[in-house]
Amino acid sequence: MRLGVLLCGLLLAVANVHAGERQTSLDWLKIVAFAAHQTDYGGVFVYQYDNRVETSRITHVVEPDSEYERLESLDGPKREVIRHHGQVWCHINHKMVQVGSRQARNRFPDLLPEQMSALSENYQVKEAGVERVAGYNTQVILFQPKDNLRYTRKIWAHTDTGLLLKTAVLGDKNQVVEQYAFTQVQIGAGVDRSWVKPATADVNSASGKPGSGLPGAGRGQGTSGLHGSMPGMLETGKGGTPINSGWVADALPAGFKKTMEVERPMHGKHAPVTQLVFSDGLSAISIFIEPFDADEDDADGLTTRGAVNLYHKVVDKHLITVVGEVPPRTVMQTLDSVRYNGK
Amino acid sequence: MKQEISALMDGELFEDEAENLLDRVKRDSDTHKDWEAYHLIGDVLRQPECIHRGLSAKVRERMQDEPTVLAPRGRAVKQKMRTFALSAAASLVAVGVVAWMSLQVGHEAAPQMAMQQNNLHPASVQIKSRSNDYLMAHQEFSPSTDMNGGAYYIRTVSYNPDEK
Repeated sequence: MRLGVLLCGLLLAVANVHAGERQTSLDWLKIVAFAAHQTDYGGVFVYQYDNRVETSRITHVVEPDSEYERLESLDGPKREVIRHHGQVWCHINHKMVQVGSRQARNRFPDLLPEQMSALSENYQVKEAGVERVAGYNTQVILFQPKDNLRYTRKIWAHTDTGLLLKTAVLGDKNQVVEQYAFTQVQIGAGVDRSWVKPATADVNSASGKPGSGLPGAGRGQGTSGLHGSMPGMLETGKGGTPINSGWVADALPAGFKKTMEVERPMHGKHAPVTQLVFSDGLSAISIFIEPFDADEDDADGLTTRGAVNLYHKVVDKHLITVVGEVPPRTVMQTLDSVRYNGK
Repeated sequence: MKQEISALMDGELFEDEAENLLDRVKRDSDTHKDWEAYHLIGDVLRQPECIHRGLSAKVRERMQDEPTVLAPRGRAVKQKMRTFALSAAASLVAVGVVAWMSLQVGHEAAPQMAMQQNNLHPASVQIKSRSNDYLMAHQEFSPSTDMNGGAYYIRTVSYNPDEK
């Protein structure tokens, strides 16, 4: 009898330790998400996917009004991505295109309760020691999925600030699908902010940023609406209007909850595109639905870049595209289950 | 040319493009060799323990060794002709089935191959530039952007040295 009580107590204690450990790991995620938005940092990182390596420089500066971020490729043709206040500009081949914007929406830390429960239901989360990355001490955290419909994630978070200094996505056989790692990084003070306009400046003068020069193309498309909701923005850059499209996907992996459903304009498309986004807290799957234009040279098929897989297929005269940081089988399975359920 | 073949094997060509290419594969022996090599590579990647090199040549040899069935004498010529026609039809069907099966296998195997041996399949590994718009639209709402800041955007503007 006494032995039984003892055993029970022991079991409880073990369970508690486990729950506690999981909680600490999940707490790390909050810190990481907070740090990604609230820390000034700048540095050079490598992105490795498939059999390629690319080097880029990223600068992230927090101003009282919002965040500014500049990403420049250091290899190959010059490419630049600028994000500010939820707006994204892309500078490729001397052309600046505003490619999209997301509405101010709940940031990761605000979504915590449901995202966190989805996370611990579908991943084994554990701390995996302390390692050194780019000269800083980092806490390693491992997210191992409980099914084979998602990838394993490994993150290296700076022990002081929580900033992610390295991330890796691992496949079924623990092979690296893609990874990011800073090789040199400056955190906090000393980050170059000369390219950022003072918070009070007129946003249009963003075109005066050294090296970033948002040219007429971008401006003509309504950058003046950066802070407001200019009518022109609706056509070009707005993240979209929330709708209930009536489209559903039945075979999403467990724990993927719908986080968004919008009708949005898309670069290079005449008609608005319906986008549904589902997330399990770590990865997201987007489903794009648009009327199929027979002239388009879009064939059915799967394409892969690092951890992201993209699958196209024509269903009921609609071109369906599924994109996600999930294995190929998951995007294919998801697409095959997409159907129109009526409004 | 090689890119086209790999695109065909990945099921990325349109029907008319595929037909043209298949015609060329049939006529041009170099192209045919490429076609065979690519399938061989795929086989090796999938089942390294059992490799069939020069499979079609071996099948041809074996076929030549097969005894020729001679129809017994005394039958009407008409009958003989019909038997011949029937067996010819049967072998045509067999060829068709084999061809169909190889097409099925080819389609199914393509994504796996693409993932395992990137060097051989540049066309399938690289996301076409029009896909970048989807990637970008997806990236905006992915939790990874919240955790890792904008670093993931590099994915959406990745360039492809092989792309024209």
